[in-house]
Amino acid sequence: MILKLALRNIIGNGWRSLINVAVIAIVLIGLIWGEGMWYSWLTLAKNQQREWEYGGGILRAKSYDPFDAFTWENGYAPVPAEAQSYVRGGRIVPILYSPGMIYPQGRMMNALVKGIPENQKVLSFPSTALNAADSSYVPAIIGREMAKTSRLQEGEVFTLRLKDSTGAFNSLDLQVSKVMDCPVPSLDIGTVWIDLAALRKVKLLPDAATVLVLKDASLTAIKAPLFRYIDPREFFADLNQMVKTKVSGQSLPFGMLILLAMLAVFDTQALAIFKRRKEIGMLSALGMTKGQIIRLFTSEGALYMVAASVCAVVLGFPLYWYFAVKGFALPQGYQSFGVAGFNEPLKFHYPLLVILGTLIFLFLLTVFVSWLPARKIARLRPTEALRGK
Amino acid sequence: MEDPIVRIKNMSKAFPTGESEFLALKNVNLDFGKGEFTGIVGPSGSGKTTLLNVIGSLDTPTSGEVEVLGLEVSQLSQKGSSELRSRHLGFIFQTYNLLPVYDVYENVEFPLLLLKMAPNERRKAVMDALEWVGLTDKAQSRPAQLSGGQCQRVAIARAMVKKPTLVLADEPTANLDTENSLHILDTMQKINAALSTSFIFATHDQKVINYLHRVIKLIDGKVVSDDTQTGA
Ligand SMILES: Nc1ncnc2c1ncn2[C@@H]1O[C@H](COP(=O)(O)OP(=O)(O)O)[C@@H](O)[C@H]1O
Ligand SMILES: [Mg+2]
Repeated sequence: MILKLALRNIIGNGWRSLINVAVIAIVLIGLIWGEGMWYSWLTLAKNQQREWEYGGGILRAKSYDPFDAFTWENGYAPVPAEAQSYVRGGRIVPILYSPGMIYPQGRMMNALVKGIPENQKVLSFPSTALNAADSSYVPAIIGREMAKTSRLQEGEVFTLRLKDSTGAFNSLDLQVSKVMDCPVPSLDIGTVWIDLAALRKVKLLPDAATVLVLKDASLTAIKAPLFRYIDPREFFADLNQMVKTKVSGQSLPFGMLILLAMLAVFDTQALAIFKRRKEIGMLSALGMTKGQIIRLFTSEGALYMVAASVCAVVLGFPLYWYFAVKGFALPQGYQSFGVAGFNEPLKFHYPLLVILGTLIFLFLLTVFVSWLPARKIARLRPTEALRGK
Repeated sequence: MEDPIVRIKNMSKAFPTGESEFLALKNVNLDFGKGEFTGIVGPSGSGKTTLLNVIGSLDTPTSGEVEVLGLEVSQLSQKGSSELRSRHLGFIFQTYNLLPVYDVYENVEFPLLLLKMAPNERRKAVMDALEWVGLTDKAQSRPAQLSGGQCQRVAIARAMVKKPTLVLADEPTANLDTENSLHILDTMQKINAALSTSFIFATHDQKVINYLHRVIKLIDGKVVSDDTQTGA
């Protein structure tokens, strides 16, 4: 009964209702779109990092700390005995890191050299380009960003100098065999990739690795006391953190939009209660309790939200669909973000539960905002209401 | 009078006005019986509406006792007075006060929804009430499409659809021309006779006064006379 009357009242309120619903619906469409974007981007970035870097899990040498460059020179450990057969079987990929200097066209640059087996199949990394069969130099892969900063091009030859495990300097002539499009900036920026065997040889470390990339998580069970398992939570912590910062950066404008929508509801409600005092008095005379009348007015506000939610889902559908199918071309220059997920159009998929949660939250917020002015009815005397004062 | 439905004893009503207060009703003593067709009559500002509001439990007396259908008005909770109004009292206002978003049928049906009456019973009661006021053919019209007289007839149907014991009508003819005034007075008289619903009017309209069985004169919040009219 109350809902029916509430619905009639907001329909009867004509263009004012329409504006309210439109304002809220636009805010909701923006919210759903934004949530879809961040969620899809996070998923894409995680997938790319899995494919290119993390595989089914990573064991990292305890002596290597990615945040402390002083540990890099000696950040490795021998591949554990138990892992050897898996390495040969191709289910574990050892990667060795070493700091070094490169001399492209006579200039000098710091670089992190990473050795990866050219025949590995666990990661999407294009390691086959490291095959040295028809080259007199050691082939090297660099990423687009690295190519830009070092001004190295495919086919170019340059010198690498690094310290071997005895502390003596050795040098190696490298040739850029491939400039790769790598979606994970950390594999690109400041990094030179060569074949693992070549790096081990020059380092005089025949069996060392900095990380062991596992094909699947079951391999974490192998005994590797000098290595530490980096679980997905730790590995993706930065990414998750960044999404959180980005989302909270977005939440200010969205917060303003929500505030605007709530103001529209509040304003309409406050005005309605002021203008319809006589009606409130009459409803009271007919025997409606204060509680019922408050519920009536609160329902009217809440119905704006329901109508807007329906509009946002139905009218926004073409937009959501477009971004799901055509995708969203992300801005170039992804290095400035320092994370994966920016090298291909982002095709949206929507976190339905999160969106539902948002809608429910906003519904409750609207109920509250509508109730705020309505609760004044409790203090209104029916006789005064009837006089319309 | 046996078993009055309204019993008012030494009742006064004061309104606060700045520092002092204004006595709108002064020591009123009145009883109203079942099936009465009574008017509170007096000039504007004499306290008619205030008295009706107190009887209708929309307001409470400042002092004295007001008993409606055996219930002491000043002791009713908000829920209790809502319940009393919803079950037993009908209101008719000068300005009709219909719900503009509802059609005639829905307006008349509304009090029954508050009473949670079953749909079949409800439908019959609404149709009966519309027939009483002669608006069966306007059931689907909105209030905005009706004349003032028709609106007031809808309000009467709404007030009586639940067969209340008492209907309180505050200046019901003030916005109507003579013809419409007489029409609704005839209707209410008919209802009063057939269902022995009590009516208490607040009015200063001579046309209404002519219909009354009992006329209570109020001046400056005081009852100055209380006469039974035989000719009406
Ligand atoms: N809520 C109120 N506050 C102050 N004075 C009031 C209030 N209601 C009514 N009055 C005063 O009480 C007197 C009686 O009013 P009312 O009962 O409306 O008279 P009537 O209906 O006979 O015209 C008037 O002088 C009016 O100004
Ligand atoms: Mg009055």
